[in-house]
Amino acid sequence: MDLLKLIHKELRAEILNKEIIITMLSFGLSIIVIISFTSNLSKQIIEAYAPGLFWLMILFVTVLGVHRSYAYEKEFNAIDLILSAPIDRGLIFIAKALSGFIFITLMQALIVFPYFTFLSIDIDVNFFLLILSTLLINLTLMFVSNLISGISMRARISEILFPVLLFPLISPLIIAATNITNSIINQAPYIEWQVWIYLLISILIVFGLSGYALFDFILEE
Amino acid sequence: MFYENKKNLYLLIVAIFLFALNSLNIFYGTPMVPDQHWAQKIFYLHVPSAWVGFLSYFIAMISGFLFLSTKKDKWDITGTACAEIGTLFMSLVLITGPIWATPIWGKPWIWEPRLTTTLILFLTYVGYFMMRSFGGNIERVKKTSAVIAIIAFLNVPIIFFSVQFWSPELQSHPQVEMNQQPTGILIPFLISLFVFSFIFFVMLSYRKYVISINKNLTNNV
Repeated sequence: MDLLKLIHKELRAEILNKEIIITMLSFGLSIIVIISFTSNLSKQIIEAYAPGLFWLMILFVTVLGVHRSYAYEKEFNAIDLILSAPIDRGLIFIAKALSGFIFITLMQALIVFPYFTFLSIDIDVNFFLLILSTLLINLTLMFVSNLISGISMRARISEILFPVLLFPLISPLIIAATNITNSIINQAPYIEWQVWIYLLISILIVFGLSGYALFDFILEE
Repeated sequence: MFYENKKNLYLLIVAIFLFALNSLNIFYGTPMVPDQHWAQKIFYLHVPSAWVGFLSYFIAMISGFLFLSTKKDKWDITGTACAEIGTLFMSLVLITGPIWATPIWGKPWIWEPRLTTTLILFLTYVGYFMMRSFGGNIERVKKTSAVIAIIAFLNVPIIFFSVQFWSPELQSHPQVEMNQQPTGILIPFLISLFVFSFIFFVMLSYRKYVISINKNLTNNV
């Protein structure tokens, strides 16, 4: 129940000012335009790089969106009010991750068409598999990035510390995400890329449990 | 003063003596490997440095757990000292690795899983030190540093396997498994491992002393 209330609070704040979604969307579109201008390559090369570039763009957008979501709490000292409420602090982490998951999925749904159109990529894939795997990647991405954002939130240079800490820790996830999307686009059999799904689930479990258990220590004064 | 204590002074003298003896043994007491020649000698520094680096980061993780559960400053001091020493030895690994790899593989870097894991851990600890330097409130920094040390080490197997699966055709460590090594190589290697471990514990006790002195000075100002 507390979790639902916390997610509702995050979504309501976003519906009222739309700051995170608009920031992520406009930044994502700008990155696509820059990628299009800087990758004047053959169609085959672009298609081979498309999954990696896509997840790179999502990583940059995530940094902006997740940092904004925590900066909010800091600006209005809202975090102190949440901390004074009699709720499990691990739930704050899960609520932040799940609301972030909703934002990033929404943003991806809006940006995926311009991405493939601007880069002139034709794909003929199993959309069910692509969507399912993307949802799992998004969920894992949000658990990892929310834990790191929580760690760096109250630091003096949080906007620098967040990506410096996040990028090395998230590199296995980016490798897995790129390989999964690549395999689905190339219609590789599941047996060839199931290892990446297992890896993704391991990351989700390790960071999900660490975040839930350690968020109390991260937030306490 | 730290070295006014006779025990610490003797330990330092023994560490210097063992280091000199180990260096002489590596140069003159170990056999030449036919296809590697002098390049192979770096193995006696590279692998023990990696061992000490991972041991330091492992102790930093344990200290992180103990600090979060007991809130005793001694665990924060141990964790910081281990992070510093670990990063020093990881830097040695990242320098000696490419030096060793160049004549063996023909290029300094081929994303070998162990070296890549070392690089990613090293980058994570760059973030750790940034957090300690620019994190702001010292009590909060202690907790967030402990959390970083924990998740950095928990991420080690995930990084290793992700890099190994990422490009398996590239992976071929220049050294065969240790249990297949001839005794002429194995015994000097084990001696080197012992000497490096001994030096690590001497360094750890000195760094812990220096960090606690600094802490006391800061508290008294």
